[in-house]
Amino acid sequence: MKNKSILEIKNLDVEYSTLTDKVVALKDINITVEEGESLGIIGESGCGKSTLSYAIMDYLPSNGLSNGKILFKGENLLEKSPKEQTKYRGDRIAMVYQNPYSSLNPSLTIGFQLDEVTMFHRGFSRKEARNASIEALKDLYLGDAAGIVRRYPHQISGGMQQRICIAMALLCKPDLLILDEPTTALDVTTEVVILDIISELKKKYNMSLIYISHDIGVINKVSDRIAVMYRGEVVETGSQHTIYKHPEHPYTRALINCMPRSGIVKEEVRLNAIPGYVAKRSAAETGCPFVSRCEKKTLICQENYGLKESKANHFSSCSRAYAEDVPDKERTRLKIPLENNVKEENILSIKDLYKYYGGPGKKVRALDGVSVSLERNSVLGVVGESGCGKSTMGLTVSGLLKPTKGQLIFDGIDIAVSWRKRTPEILKNIQLIFQNPGRSLNPSFTIETIIGRPMKKLLGIKSKTERRKMVIDILKKVDLGEEYLSRKASQLSGGEMQRVALARAFSISPDLLVCDEPTSALDVSVQASVLNLLGELQQESKASYIFISHDLNVINYISDYIMVMYLGRICEYGRKDEVVGPPYHPYTEALISAVPDVDPDSAKQQIRLEGSPPNPTKKIKGCPFEGRCHKKIGKICETTAPPKVYFSDDHFVFCHLSPGKLGAK
Amino acid sequence: MKTILLHLKNNPLAILGIMILFLWIFAALFGPALLSYNYTEMDMEHQMTTPGEYGHLLGTDALGRDVFARIIYGSRSILTVALMTSLVSSIVGILIGFTAGYFGSLVDTFFLRAMDILMAIPPLVLSMVVLGILGDSSFLSLTLIVSIAFTPATARVARGALLSCKGSEYVDAARIRGESHFIIMFVEILPNTIGPIIVEITARFAYSIMMIASLGFLGVGLQPPTPDWGMMVIENKSIIRAASWTVLYPSLAIASLVIAVSLFSDFVSKVMIHEK
Repeated sequence: MKNKSILEIKNLDVEYSTLTDKVVALKDINITVEEGESLGIIGESGCGKSTLSYAIMDYLPSNGLSNGKILFKGENLLEKSPKEQTKYRGDRIAMVYQNPYSSLNPSLTIGFQLDEVTMFHRGFSRKEARNASIEALKDLYLGDAAGIVRRYPHQISGGMQQRICIAMALLCKPDLLILDEPTTALDVTTEVVILDIISELKKKYNMSLIYISHDIGVINKVSDRIAVMYRGEVVETGSQHTIYKHPEHPYTRALINCMPRSGIVKEEVRLNAIPGYVAKRSAAETGCPFVSRCEKKTLICQENYGLKESKANHFSSCSRAYAEDVPDKERTRLKIPLENNVKEENILSIKDLYKYYGGPGKKVRALDGVSVSLERNSVLGVVGESGCGKSTMGLTVSGLLKPTKGQLIFDGIDIAVSWRKRTPEILKNIQLIFQNPGRSLNPSFTIETIIGRPMKKLLGIKSKTERRKMVIDILKKVDLGEEYLSRKASQLSGGEMQRVALARAFSISPDLLVCDEPTSALDVSVQASVLNLLGELQQESKASYIFISHDLNVINYISDYIMVMYLGRICEYGRKDEVVGPPYHPYTEALISAVPDVDPDSAKQQIRLEGSPPNPTKKIKGCPFEGRCHKKIGKICETTAPPKVYFSDDHFVFCHLSPGKLGAK
Repeated sequence: MKTILLHLKNNPLAILGIMILFLWIFAALFGPALLSYNYTEMDMEHQMTTPGEYGHLLGTDALGRDVFARIIYGSRSILTVALMTSLVSSIVGILIGFTAGYFGSLVDTFFLRAMDILMAIPPLVLSMVVLGILGDSSFLSLTLIVSIAFTPATARVARGALLSCKGSEYVDAARIRGESHFIIMFVEILPNTIGPIIVEITARFAYSIMMIASLGFLGVGLQPPTPDWGMMVIENKSIIRAASWTVLYPSLAIASLVIAVSLFSDFVSKVMIHEK
């Protein structure tokens, strides 16, 4: 069944002119979206995905210049005057942005902002507009729609805000909805709900969708067809299944391979990384955009290049994805670190740790009695939704925050004090890796100074030449060359910056490394190489990690032990294989089911978690998860704190349910 | 350096400002050596000469002193004092602002309230009162008093700049490395706040010129016989109808210098802050 096309983009080029030169953002884009079809666009950051959506919406910044045709129902949008465009923009074509918090005006009520849309485009009266708004909110399963319209954006959660944004886009029943990473800023459990709603509404209104994301798991859930973008070009398009199973462009294959998916663990495989990073493109460049990072390039890659139809509905500009694999050392397998499950002594024991923020009137319980210990030479993964206290735990261990109550026994010494009261020995032995590498390296210093400083301060190496030698050694370990010594952080890419941060931490051989979402700000291809590096350094140095992440796949890949947190408390703790398999805590189960799968054919059962974690300022008597739990028993969950149930020596959950009900055999 | 030139190319006003500024600096450095008149020399035969006559380029005043010579000599004092004040007020401002912002809570409140009290008094009035008490003003006392009047503003800017960097992870990284407060403030944070601080210094420079000229005009600036532009204006106020040039040219000198410095300061702020 061949449908009518609703959007046709022909030979679209977009250039940005900057002070110094011109940068090509989009080059020769040809895309068609059919009626009722959903197109997913995937690619790393800087590949022009958002620029494409801005070009369609005519939201390009003033230095952006577009050339080509954007045909919406046969009419070229680029030739329309700004006044004519308002007929399309926001009316026939609507867009939802990544960050709902900054797309809603914080000083206007939600109702007012929703009403504006229909009053402007449809000429509705105030009352009609309000009714339409409430209708739209009901479409998105927002329970108390009449109440929500009277609230301000800051009074509702991020997931609700994004639903409001989607409702706003749907008010005029658009023919085409563009979603630019709408769930990236949200928790996985919220993401699932939103993705479901989007697919459902698409069917209901027979809309076409363009869904932009960097995560193929998410794209799989909502798209029929996928377009892969790289450096401003569409390198491959095809159905969801073909793209995943039979990619033809080497970039597509590399991109899919570098995503950590469920079930992949560091003991068995190294992740596939793509060397290098997405470089800016100058106007003069021709040929394959991927050539500089491609493992399978040949001499003809520069010429004879362009999108060709290889099979029905499958277009690709290269077919060398499965060309003979370059034998590389990247895929050598690592030794299994937990040999024979030998118990090592504990390097860190956390005993009844509490951390409250705020004054006596309004206490936020960030950590509410956490007890856990960490073995030498092992990795503890901490996972949970935002606001569950995982970062707070990392910061108290590293000393940036002083715990309110409790003990932190590190090497036999209680270090439950702030950094100022710790000895240099302890400061040296506990290092912290931050989420945003750009902000953790001082932009005024050279890499040599940044890495050398802790050596001078904590190891007492005074000689400059000696330090330089050590810095070069450690740079080599993180795959960076000597030429980086005199560079500054702003001259590096995100992945390189995080490598420098790792080098700084490892330069003084710490015993414990706290990694606070170290790969969340990075692209998947770079995340893979950083994760590989982290794994290698851990084996080599025998240091222990506390690895904090919201991404269960990443946690599962890197950790030996996993701790699942919810609202400042532990839900489940155990060896990795014990935690990700049944029996598990209902919250762990929900988290695992929420992770979007890379493989489009895998069918897993979804558990929808409604709502958001309860208010952390209230004292909770029972189980914190009780309000959202799909296996709630009854009164007992609300009134009594759940008992600690052991499934094995080091696997326990906090739940009232009997082990049998939690999936145990 | 290359980007600075590119910015300059797109910004003709900045070029104009920088040119005027260089002209004044040149005048202050080498002008006196090239002049045929001294600033105290009185040409008894040609009092209130119109500009251009008898070798007096900009005419003479009621005492027969060469207006051009006095303006050139005056540029020395005004540039020196203005430069000194903008530097001193910025350094003191950074010290106070950083201490207040870094330690926060009570220290912050103490310094902020102290600055508020200073700010509540108009700077001109404050300077006049103190200079009046001190009696004859010298380069040193003028510099000091104008610096004190300007310090609250620079301290606030420095504090703001520090606060924007204080939450950065590299500061946290320095903390858990056990660095001292001094190192964190002045080695880790200061280089990253240098943009707004340099902009503030250049803006202060323009304000200082206005302030010194105003104090001269009010008669509490540098004392005669040192030529002072503001003082020249008030001295010749009584003969403005007979010899307007004696007031016009010193005023123009003040205006051109202030405009030049302001244009320069706008340019600096564009390069240092907005383009990042």
